[in-house]
Amino acid sequence: MGSVAFRNVTKRFANGHEALKDVTVEVDEGTMAFLRGHSGAGKTTFLKLLLGIEAPTRGQVLVNGVDIGKLPRRRLPRYRQHLGVVFQDPHLLMQRSVFENVALPLQVTGMGERDIGRRVRPALERVGLLAKAAHLPVFLSAGELQRVGIARAVVNRPRVLLADEPTGNLDPHLSREVMRLFLDFRRVGTTVIVASHDQGLVESLGMRIIELDHGRLTRDHA
Amino acid sequence: MRSPADPWPAHPRPLAATARDHARVARESFHFVNSRIGASLLVWLLIGIALALPAGLYLLDRNVAGTMERWEGRAGLSVYFEPGADVRAARSMAARLQAKAEAQTVWVVTPEEALREFQGQSGLSDALDLLSDNPLPASVRISLADGVSAAARARLVAELGSQDAVEEVVVETAWLERLAAIGAVVERLGWMLAGFFGLGATLVTVASVRLAIEARLEELKVQKLVGATDAFARRPFLYLGVIYGAGGGVLAAVLNAATGVALEAPLGRLFEGYGRDLEWSGLDHIFASGLVAVGAALGVCGAMIASRQRLRGLDPV
Repeated sequence: MGSVAFRNVTKRFANGHEALKDVTVEVDEGTMAFLRGHSGAGKTTFLKLLLGIEAPTRGQVLVNGVDIGKLPRRRLPRYRQHLGVVFQDPHLLMQRSVFENVALPLQVTGMGERDIGRRVRPALERVGLLAKAAHLPVFLSAGELQRVGIARAVVNRPRVLLADEPTGNLDPHLSREVMRLFLDFRRVGTTVIVASHDQGLVESLGMRIIELDHGRLTRDHA
Repeated sequence: MRSPADPWPAHPRPLAATARDHARVARESFHFVNSRIGASLLVWLLIGIALALPAGLYLLDRNVAGTMERWEGRAGLSVYFEPGADVRAARSMAARLQAKAEAQTVWVVTPEEALREFQGQSGLSDALDLLSDNPLPASVRISLADGVSAAARARLVAELGSQDAVEEVVVETAWLERLAAIGAVVERLGWMLAGFFGLGATLVTVASVRLAIEARLEELKVQKLVGATDAFARRPFLYLGVIYGAGGGVLAAVLNAATGVALEAPLGRLFEGYGRDLEWSGLDHIFASGLVAVGAALGVCGAMIASRQRLRGLDPV
């Protein structure tokens, strides 16, 4: 189960700025959708609402039918254990090896070391970094760092994968490589939502595009 | 744990994995302390000094009070008669006192016995031989029974002092009572200082752990992003609190042991001046372990306060 639905969602911040205005959209399980829009369109707020970092001012944010905005604070960690998140800056822990970075989402669940190894190695293999498992992030290129971030996001086999400008720091070749990885995850049943302002890249993949402009849903088509 | 309505079931958490995770976190915390050994030593020193002072006062009080308790069993009175008074008056008083519940043992010291005792203790036997008469009076010594209250003793002193031919009644424990009063002040002061300095030690840990949290803020945000509970995120800092607190406790024990060694001789001389032997037990293993445990507990409290404050409002990246 990995369906995502926004129902008449409005998010207004304390300073009065409305980041999302009455947005209604559904993303079915196992599908991939791009969130597109200029800077300040509301893409990041959309993802923050899904992560439970922000709560909607009005409306419902539903994941698997559960209203995330009303989820008690103590239940958020377990919910997040079933999500995968990739950012433009992968936010890796620089004192920890690539393996340890990727193992982190499993470690927080209390998984045993042997099982962690069984999960981390295939995830690193999938992003082509198994040979660099023992390396510290400081010795990796920007593309490799982003791939470590992706491996960390998928190592817990999430049902929903969220990405915020994952190709922002990458050249076109690496960007396509990252997108290909996301497509692979969609094929195994993961719901993938990618926020990106890279119009050319988004349109070249022929996926569903949800377009936001100043917080309003302006376009939604496959 | 898993219910049909639960879309996000908890991952199985084997006990062995939890134990290994604790071991890993403890290792990392030791590494963290070791990597900032200068700052860590300062924290240990602050906590150690904060614990050492009230612990030292407690130790002093315990040793002095222990010595005094042993003396109280031998508390007594000496009734001195006027010079030249008939020793029969002393014997008569002794016979009456034997019947009293307050008196455990009663004996008469004749002027001759008193002179021999004085010669033995003072070393002035040659000078005393020159005296034609024995200047010392007869006396009655009373060893009081256990549990005789200060009021009952005062009544007995007044009664004996009013007898004919009685020159003076000396309460042998008067100075001990003064010492006990001082001991009570020291004890009260110790508890007050324990409260103040315990709070101080906790605040030192709060500040130190808070700094450690700030140093690892980015890591904590990532942990929260991937679903770490507050308990998971807090764990390294609780270990840090234990290490800081227990380390401070060890240092306090060392300081107290050193202070004990430095004080034992002068205290012994002080008590010797009153004809008593100070039985100094010093810092035993139980007390030292207790000090370390108290330090660790205060460290955990400090770490809990700091981490709860900081982690509560912390959002993922």
